[in-house]
Amino acid sequence: MTAADRSSAVVDIARLEELADIMLPAAHGMPSASEAGAVSLYIDEVLGWRSDLRQPLAEALAALDPTTFTVEALSAFLSEDEAAYAALTTVVAACYYLSPVVRDRIGYPGQVAKTYDPFAYTEWVADGLLDPVVERGPIWREAPG
Amino acid sequence: MTFRADVLIIGAGASGGVAARHLAEHGFDVVCLEQGDWPDRSSFPGTRPDWELAIRRDWAMSPNVRNRPEDYPVVHDNSDIEPLMYNAVGGSMIIYAGTWPRMLPSDLRVRTLDGVADDWPIAYRDLVPYYDAIDRQIGVSGLAGDPAYPPHDDYPLPPLPLGVAGGRVAEGHNRLGWHWWPEPNAILSAPYDGRRPCVQRGVCTSGCAEGAKASTDLTHWPKATAAGARLITGARVSRITIGPQGLATGAVWLDSASVEHHQEADVVILAANAVGTARLLLLSADERYCPDGLANSSGLVGRRLMMHPFSVVTGWWDDQVEGWQGHFGASITSYEFYETDPSREFVRGAKWALSPVGGPLNHILPMRAGNEVWGPDHHALMGRTFGRGASWAIFGEDLPEESNRVDLDPDRTDSHGIPAPRVGYRISDHSRRLMAYQEDRATESLEASGCQETAVASMIPYSGWHLMGTARMGDDPASSVVNSRQQAHDVANLYIADASVFVTSSGVNPTCTITALALRTADLLVQRRREQKVPA
Repeated sequence: MTAADRSSAVVDIARLEELADIMLPAAHGMPSASEAGAVSLYIDEVLGWRSDLRQPLAEALAALDPTTFTVEALSAFLSEDEAAYAALTTVVAACYYLSPVVRDRIGYPGQVAKTYDPFAYTEWVADGLLDPVVERGPIWREAPG
Repeated sequence: MTFRADVLIIGAGASGGVAARHLAEHGFDVVCLEQGDWPDRSSFPGTRPDWELAIRRDWAMSPNVRNRPEDYPVVHDNSDIEPLMYNAVGGSMIIYAGTWPRMLPSDLRVRTLDGVADDWPIAYRDLVPYYDAIDRQIGVSGLAGDPAYPPHDDYPLPPLPLGVAGGRVAEGHNRLGWHWWPEPNAILSAPYDGRRPCVQRGVCTSGCAEGAKASTDLTHWPKATAAGARLITGARVSRITIGPQGLATGAVWLDSASVEHHQEADVVILAANAVGTARLLLLSADERYCPDGLANSSGLVGRRLMMHPFSVVTGWWDDQVEGWQGHFGASITSYEFYETDPSREFVRGAKWALSPVGGPLNHILPMRAGNEVWGPDHHALMGRTFGRGASWAIFGEDLPEESNRVDLDPDRTDSHGIPAPRVGYRISDHSRRLMAYQEDRATESLEASGCQETAVASMIPYSGWHLMGTARMGDDPASSVVNSRQQAHDVANLYIADASVFVTSSGVNPTCTITALALRTADLLVQRRREQKVPA
């Protein structure tokens, strides 16, 4: 199979949404995958970034029937087809955690730039945070030569 | 048209960059061949939404996963640890964490002190002036006075922030009476040498877009090329050539179109990491002079590979600490269990470094400690752990064994058809005892720091960042490959500047010592230039 074949494999979006809702249902104050619009809104972006996942994802979707699928069956699938399992879990998770609703609920703004005072350490040094370490004295081992 | 350089350096990473700058600034005509390209910081993924997807493929640390044209495959079917590296100007510094610990005096005397492995032919005091110089060249952020180390010069910049997690674990260690100290990092805490400081984005190991994390493409190559060094990228060396005097005459290299070239030089310096350097020495076998590989009369080229068994112990508090954020890098370090204690079932020890845990995908598709959980429990797990954790990254000292080795794979090749390196490596029972002890203590540390939950990821296979030992240093040509100046015993104008020369691994991240040794090698070459044998 060529790279072009792999990147053009057809992904059954409806089937993926059904599986994603079983993997990530509404619970503990978090929306389900479909409530967050995870697959419908972000699948193109995710598979655009990771076209290598398209083919193993299609294989996972062909192997797993949403009408009988359970979380326990997902664990068993890992030992059957590791690449397809990895593609399914990676794509579902990536789509879900791109959602601004989801990110807001878990308090994650992304990897953002922060400013800080590089000389703030003088405060905790002055407060004595390091004193017990220093008072204990050297712990390195003398070596000949 | 070919020209003959004073010095040919193979590899433009940590050691190659440091050696090139020093030699060029001292008047040497330097040429460097690098199989990768200059890194393009605008392409680094840390500021993009696909960051956590990219680090699992195009920005993976494994060349086998990344599979870029400049990468060569590393066959590791029979290795407990997967070798990791990056091929570019700056080398694996592009993807390293940037923690910058020195070795300790005992690290170079393990035979004398602990009766294992071998002593180095140099001592800690020989390295100190070069450690001090490199810290200034790199722009290290840290705090002097760590009682785990002999006193040394202060760092040029103040330490990076402890963060909430670092502060909590520091207090935990104070309660336990255990050592901790702000980790020195090769990451700027303030503007330095025209570079911008760290912004705590927490993506250091997939390239620092700010350029705050030191790598020689920033810290050394611009100065080296300004001093006249010539850096040729996209240049894959296939072998070092030998002349009738048994001296190196240069190297054959292939460009991206597979056109073959020969670069002549008076002196050749290998700086290609402990896998790449061993591979090139073995590829350079010559029936007339060195049928078993260049500089290999001892039979030790490729042997004694060390990679630091690596475990991660993660703890989670019951409140937010923004555990995805902060330099990566480490906020604090502990050497409490570093030195030998006769009451334990092992000698030597490990260094701990406290690091962030990553973004949501790293939580639920763990590359480190944690569980993969789906269904309703997924949200419970995320609610309990996400943003609430920090990880002790634990490197155990890896004692050398000749059976752990790099050789040439009989089947696999790189994109130019050159045989790929094959790594055979087993974690020893000694290392397993050492790491199990450290994991238990690190769990105690996080519990004492208030963590409600902990998890251990023991001896993670995907962790071979620290490649060391495949061309060891020593005084005896029968039991070592290079002398204390890192000059090959067998080939007077061949030097090895990378961590291949390490006699033992220590338990600390090696790049600080790699660069100090490279500077020392280059400096001694400058001092002894009139005595240097060169081809006719």
